[in-house]
Amino acid sequence: MPTFAEELTLLLTNEDGALLPVQKDAFECALAGAVLMDLAFARRIDTDPRALTVTDDTPTGDPALDRVLAKIAARTEPEDTRKWIRELSVDDAAAIREQVSAGLVARGVLETRDGKFPWMQRSRRRPALDGEPGKRVGRRIEGVLHSNDVPDPRDVALIALLDACDVLPDIFPGRDIERCRPRIEQLRKMDLIGREVAGAVADIERTIALAVRFRSARFREISLLLSIVGGLAAAATLLAPRVPVPDRFGPTWLEQLWSDGTWQQWSGYTLLGLSGAGLSAVLLMRARPVARRGGHGWSRLAHAGIGLACALALFAHTGFRLGANLNAALMGCYLAVLVLGALAGISVNGASRLRRMGITPRLRVVPMRLHVIALYPLPALLMAHLLVVYLY
Amino acid sequence: MSRKAILWILYALATAVAVGVVAMWMVVGGDRGMLPVGATTDAHHQIDMACETCHAAPAFADAATARKAMNETCRNCHEDELRAADDSHSRKKFRDPRMAVYQSRLDARLCTTCHVEHRPEITRAGAVTIAMDFCAACHAEGDQDVRKARPSHADLTFDTCASAGCHNYHDNRALYEDFLARNVGQPWLAPAPTHEPSARHRARRPLGEAAIGRSGAVAPAAALADPTALDHWAGSGHAAAGVNCAGCHAPTAAPGASRAEVEARWTGMPDTGVCKDCHAAQAKTFARSRHGMRGHPLIAAPRDPERRLEAIGLGGGLGKAVAVWFADPPRPPRMTVAEARLPMRADAAHESLDCDTCHQPHAVDIEQAAVEACASCHDDRHTRAYFGGAHHALWRAELAGEVPPGAGVSCATCHMVKIERRGEIVTSHNQNDNLRPNEKMIRSVCLDCHGLGFAIDALADADLVAGNFDGIPAIHVESIEWAARRAAADRDTTFIPPP
Repeated sequence: MPTFAEELTLLLTNEDGALLPVQKDAFECALAGAVLMDLAFARRIDTDPRALTVTDDTPTGDPALDRVLAKIAARTEPEDTRKWIRELSVDDAAAIREQVSAGLVARGVLETRDGKFPWMQRSRRRPALDGEPGKRVGRRIEGVLHSNDVPDPRDVALIALLDACDVLPDIFPGRDIERCRPRIEQLRKMDLIGREVAGAVADIERTIALAVRFRSARFREISLLLSIVGGLAAAATLLAPRVPVPDRFGPTWLEQLWSDGTWQQWSGYTLLGLSGAGLSAVLLMRARPVARRGGHGWSRLAHAGIGLACALALFAHTGFRLGANLNAALMGCYLAVLVLGALAGISVNGASRLRRMGITPRLRVVPMRLHVIALYPLPALLMAHLLVVYLY
Repeated sequence: MSRKAILWILYALATAVAVGVVAMWMVVGGDRGMLPVGATTDAHHQIDMACETCHAAPAFADAATARKAMNETCRNCHEDELRAADDSHSRKKFRDPRMAVYQSRLDARLCTTCHVEHRPEITRAGAVTIAMDFCAACHAEGDQDVRKARPSHADLTFDTCASAGCHNYHDNRALYEDFLARNVGQPWLAPAPTHEPSARHRARRPLGEAAIGRSGAVAPAAALADPTALDHWAGSGHAAAGVNCAGCHAPTAAPGASRAEVEARWTGMPDTGVCKDCHAAQAKTFARSRHGMRGHPLIAAPRDPERRLEAIGLGGGLGKAVAVWFADPPRPPRMTVAEARLPMRADAAHESLDCDTCHQPHAVDIEQAAVEACASCHDDRHTRAYFGGAHHALWRAELAGEVPPGAGVSCATCHMVKIERRGEIVTSHNQNDNLRPNEKMIRSVCLDCHGLGFAIDALADADLVAGNFDGIPAIHVESIEWAARRAAADRDTTFIPPP
């Protein structure tokens, strides 16, 4: 019988073996939760409000589950479900995914495809052999959602897990999941599992829902607002007429801002510093210590705020002037980064709204990818700009 | 190594290579067309890829050194012109420590305080890149407050100082107060309007004894078989001055050389260097003009990448190999009509500018060069309006012998000043020498025929200038009356000679 982790992997992997464009946070939490649910169903762990404990440390035979089981068993200090979800989703999600995928390959469900070029040998994907297993699980879950039959307890637990992670709309794009809400609530209330397991599963589900909400929804509204304002500020640089230099003699701050070398250096290096800070915020978002402390929301908020500050500093540096030659290329690149970054911020922080508007997850990741692509030439252009300024 | 690490290394390498290439363009050689932060002014666009001409400081020099080197370049090219104009705000004046307070407001010791290149957005008339009311920096308070010192200026704003035809920052030869007062009340047209230098220029004749006739031409038989060229030369100033065919076609042959020697040293299409051998003054002024500034001796030569690589420690075989990739693109030695920023005739776009563009190689017809050559390229309203106007009618009358020499007004009369050198009248080939601000033209040209008041008014009327003075000025500049009134008020202490 496939484990929750395996079914989750199949559901969230497309026909080419790539992960569906779900939020990374949600996927990692779901995977951690799936493994814990598997262990709970295998009666290896139990939970109470204070701790998640190992009730039986006999290996299950599944490498991914046994790895987590060994880790929990080895911990001397008891830790609650929330801490385990956080730790497993940050530290172990990648390894769990790799082990689960390898297991599916070993069983002939998935196949391994390496990259085309010799130097890309590590570009490895694992699509389903016939594309069917993931669809089969999907059809089963859909069947449960749209019927009144008594479902399999594992299906109920899997639906609860997917719902807690808010990935059902991503797995079934174009379907109105909200219409299934009463059925999901009904499934949740069904008493199909033994009390001990049910308690642990409910605890895991509740903790995951909180973790996902905490990690992805924290500061979402204000980050969305900052993204929108930042995008408008960047777009204004493109569309608004340049602010003219005052045609009156005398040191005015506007004239100094756009003509004086010292002021230009201040605004330029502020812009450079902000750009570095923006990049640092992204790196922090990926750093494990920050993620473990739930700092994703802060980092995302900081990234959006810095993006807006960059747009304002760009105005101070250029006054809506697009420049010429190399400077024009730099401005084009920088504005593309800002505008696409704002769109990416809107797509991440406004995911639920965009979903309601019928914008598919596949479309939602486009600005993020373009934002990253636009960043690539930026260091070269910035350094060339500095060289031109200081050499000439 | 993981794929991600390989990609990051490749990306870092690509970035380093891109930045390295840009750095090499700047320091070693190569096409720098992508680098300027903005277009150069109309005055310098002809030489905008000879960057080292102005950016003369060594690479990575500090700002003060770079600024100093740049200002030195300005002076190298423009100092003679400023000296000739008796610069009203000379650098020397502002180096006086007592001027320190003014320096802090507007550092007039540096050309780049008011003239910054590559800033088209703030470049105003005369390539000025600060607000045009800049006179306020020094003349708005204290002893220098013109609004207090001169009641006539009490209600004037500083943006009108240089734009109303009253003052120029550098060249006020025709606008300074005493000169205005001395020339008050002149009629608009002189009784016998004649441009004196032009009259002397036209009146000069080559020595008759040196003149060579058609039969005196010494050239290979094939060249002598071209009757048109021979006729043109025989009627030219060259033949009249005793310059035989060899003078241009075999310049290395000794004067009076035999036909055989001339044949041996014959060049069918001599370059314009031979013109410059004899017409050094014209060549010198041409190299200062917008037509010929690419040939100015102070324009930086293309960079030698091998030498520059050697200077940064990349000499030897590696330097030679790299140098191949970083050679400055070849620069056209001559300005072409297609590159001009003024309206030009489309059929002249291919023309490149040198001696033979305006002067036919054999005819050397200065009458043709004075008008037709200009109009064969320039196609603006001012040029088109010349034909059929009063000045053109006078020019035609002069060519027809109906009026005395110098009474006609050609393009060259106004735009190519006649300079007297060692008793010789030489035509300056720097068309820009008295072009902008146009008041520079008053003393060298206009006043020979017109009164000062009329000339100032006419030149202040932009529409009249564009229409090539076909009418009367619609603008009246009051400066001459103000100067006269002030002179009258000061008559007890100041001697004003009668006009």
